[in-house]
Amino acid sequence: MKTALILFAAIPAFAQQNFDFKLLDKLGANATGSTNITLEGDTLKLATSFLGDDTGSLKNLTGVYVRSYEFAKAGQYNEADLAPLRAYLKTLQWTKVVDVKETDETSEIYVHVLPNNRLGGLAIVSAEAKEVTVVFIAGALNMSDVGKLSGLGIPDIGLEHGGKKSDDSKKD
Amino acid sequence: MNLDDELRAALQREPAPVDFAAKVTAKTRTSKARVVPFRRRPAALALAAALALAALVPSAVYQYRQQRRAIQARDQLIAALSITKVQLQHVRERIQQNTRHKI
Repeated sequence: MKTALILFAAIPAFAQQNFDFKLLDKLGANATGSTNITLEGDTLKLATSFLGDDTGSLKNLTGVYVRSYEFAKAGQYNEADLAPLRAYLKTLQWTKVVDVKETDETSEIYVHVLPNNRLGGLAIVSAEAKEVTVVFIAGALNMSDVGKLSGLGIPDIGLEHGGKKSDDSKKD
Repeated sequence: MNLDDELRAALQREPAPVDFAAKVTAKTRTSKARVVPFRRRPAALALAAALALAALVPSAVYQYRQQRRAIQARDQLIAALSITKVQLQHVRERIQQNTRHKI
């Protein structure tokens, strides 16, 4: 019984580090334009080392993944292909902090909150009629580091204040 | 003179010249002195240069490739952060729009 408990406890921890982004490749089958970025391990270290001295916070990143696809017409991708990622983000220590749904557009922001008010990751899933984008940034970050990242590309959207958007902004 | 006498005369032992040993020693010394220095041997120099290049080129190529890989990775990271920025701005705008509608 103990063995079983340990095994079940270990599965999420193992899965946390190993989302297979190839599962999202189906999304881009009919895409007219695509951006696929996978940075991890030594390549990511090389990249951050070439960004300069102001990017100390980026040195804690363990993975940066972007999948962005553009389509000529609406309905050329199956939103169900995002299900594995959404399932992955639901089962672990990820918290959905923003969920905006409109007629043909959804945007979700997830954060992985670590102890001591540290960010362990940031994920964005944006699905529009003719465009779908997934951004997944893994790695330990201080809340204050999010502000530092603003200068490089990530604007302040209020995540520094407790790690979650206020309930008013949620539209579940 | 018959054949036996001719052969005996031809094959009779003769002593070496007096200065034979000195001549041989002198010849040996002269040939040693003629050793061409390494730096004056074009083939040896070429070989040494080739060996040095063989040792240096892979290192230089590796460094060049590493640098190119790092620049590509940096550009990808900047692109990723740029896309993240655009997406976050987009979400923020939509939240602001929805909040205004509610008000």
